[in-house]
Amino acid sequence: MKGAFRLVNGVILLYLLAPIVVVIATAFGTSAYPIFPPQGFTLKWFVHFWSTPELRDSLRISAMLSLTSTTLATIIGTGSALALARHGIRGKSAISTMLLSPILFPAIVLALALLVAFQRIGLAQTFTGLVAAHTLVITPFVVRLAMASAAEFDPSLEEAAQNLGASWQRTFFRITLPLILPGILAGAVFAFIMSFDELVVTLLLAGPALQTLPIRIFNYVQYSSDPTISAISTCLIVAWLAIGIPVYTRFLSVRHS
Amino acid sequence: MRERGEALKPWFLLGPNLVLIGLLMLGPLLLLARISFDAYEAGSGIIDTWQISNYTKFLFDPFYREVLWGTLLLGAEVTALCLVLGFPLAYALSRSRGLKRSLLYFCILMPLLTSTVVRTFGWMILLGNNGFINRTLMALHAINRPLRLMYNTTGVIIALVEVLLPFMVLALDTALLNINPSLYEAARNLGARGTRIFLRITLPLSLPGIISGCVLVFTGALSAFVTPTLIAGARVKVMSTIIYQQAMALLDWPFGAAVAFIMLAVILILMVASLTLTERRRTA
Repeated sequence: MKGAFRLVNGVILLYLLAPIVVVIATAFGTSAYPIFPPQGFTLKWFVHFWSTPELRDSLRISAMLSLTSTTLATIIGTGSALALARHGIRGKSAISTMLLSPILFPAIVLALALLVAFQRIGLAQTFTGLVAAHTLVITPFVVRLAMASAAEFDPSLEEAAQNLGASWQRTFFRITLPLILPGILAGAVFAFIMSFDELVVTLLLAGPALQTLPIRIFNYVQYSSDPTISAISTCLIVAWLAIGIPVYTRFLSVRHS
Repeated sequence: MRERGEALKPWFLLGPNLVLIGLLMLGPLLLLARISFDAYEAGSGIIDTWQISNYTKFLFDPFYREVLWGTLLLGAEVTALCLVLGFPLAYALSRSRGLKRSLLYFCILMPLLTSTVVRTFGWMILLGNNGFINRTLMALHAINRPLRLMYNTTGVIIALVEVLLPFMVLALDTALLNINPSLYEAARNLGARGTRIFLRITLPLSLPGIISGCVLVFTGALSAFVTPTLIAGARVKVMSTIIYQQAMALLDWPFGAAVAFIMLAVILILMVASLTLTERRRTA
C-alpha cells in the first residue's frame, strides 16, 4: 500500500517536472531541432542566443521594462503596504482586496481593456504604455509581501524613536525601512520575475518594435522549432531559481498563514 | 493639526496605488464595458451605439456557443484531473517533514517559477508526432501509428493540467496541514482503518482546500491563453483565443469586449457559488 502510494506520487512528480527537464536537456543537444532524449553535447545554442542581434535586443527590452516597472511597483507597493499594515483606516479589507485584484484578473481581459484605453490616449505600442501596464500587474506582489513584513514589527519602536526626538524622516529611514526591507526586497524580486515573464498583456500592447523575450519565444515556437529557444529557456529557469526560491518560500508562507 | 495630519497620512501612502488601479484598471474596464455595447462594421470601424447583439451573438450563435461550452468543459476536465493528481501529492507533502518536505516543496515550486511559455514549449517537444511520447510507445510496439497529441484538446488538457497542478497542490496542502493530527489518532484508537479515516476525516476536513483549489484551477483554465494557442493552434478555439483574435486580427473590439465580460461573469458566478458553499459548511 505504502509502496504503491509512493510510486503514484513519483509518476505525478515526473509528469510535473517533465517539460522543464525536457527543455533543459534539449538546450545541450546537437541536432538542429529540439529532440528528447538529446544526442551529443554542445553549447552552441547558448552562443547562438547571445550572438543573434534580435534576441539580444529582446533581452535588453525585457530587462529595461522589468527594471523600470519593478522600481515603480516597489515604491507604490511599499506605500500601500505601510498604510494598510500600520494605520487603522476605514474599509481596509475592501481596499486591500482592490489593490490585490490585478493578480486574480484574467490577463487576457485586462490586456484588452488596456489596449482599448491606450489606443485612445496614444499609449498603445509605446514603452511608457508597457511600463504602466506592467506596474499595474506586478504591484500587488510587492504590496502582499511588504505588508506581511510591516505587520510583523512592533509599532512601539517607531513611537520610541519619535519620543526621543527623531523627525519622521529619520524614523522612517532608520527604523521603519530597515525593518520591512526583507519583505520589500522579496516583493521586488518576485515582481521582477513576474514582469520579465509576462506575456499576454505585453503581447496585446507591445507592437512590432517592442518584442520582449517572452513574445519572441512565443512567436518563434509557433512557427519553428529550434534548440536556441531551449537555451534561452534554460537561462531563465536557472536565473529565476537562483533568485526566486528563497523569496517564493517566503511568499507562500505569507499567503498560507 | 498634528492629529489631522496623522489621519491623512495613510491616504497619502495609498494615493499612488489607488490612482494606478483607478486609471489603469477600473477606468479601462468601464471603457471596455461601454464598448461591449457598441457595434462594429468592417471598413467603418466601431460605431457608437447601445445594443446587446455582441452578447447575444456569443451566447446564441451555434459556433460561439460551441466555444463557450468547449471552454467550460475544458475547465471542468482540467480541474477534475488536477484534483485527482494533486490530492496524493498534497497528502504526501502535508505528511512529510524536514528535508523531505523541502525537497517535495522545491519540486512543486520550480514549475511555478518557470514561465508558462517555457513549460508549454517543453510539452510541444514531448507531444509531437515525432515527440518523445510517441517514439517511446512506438519503440515498445504499444502503438503502430503515432497518437495525435498536438493540435487537439487532448494535448491542451495534458499540458494545462501540468501548468495548473502546483496551484491545486498548494491549496490542498494548506487545508491538510490545518487538520488536527490528534483526530487521526483518535480515529485509529477507535478502530477505524485507512479508507474509513480518509473518507470520514481527511476528505471532509480538506473540503475548503478542495474548493479553493478547484476555483483557482478552473479560473486559470478558463482564461488560459498561451497553452491552448501553442498546443492546439487554430484547431481548438477557446474564449481567450477568441478575445485575442478579435483584439489583434479582426479588430472587432466590441465583440471581444462582450466575450471578455461573459468570461468575467462565469468566474464571478463560480466564486460566489464557492463562497456560499464554504460559508454554508461553516455554519452547518
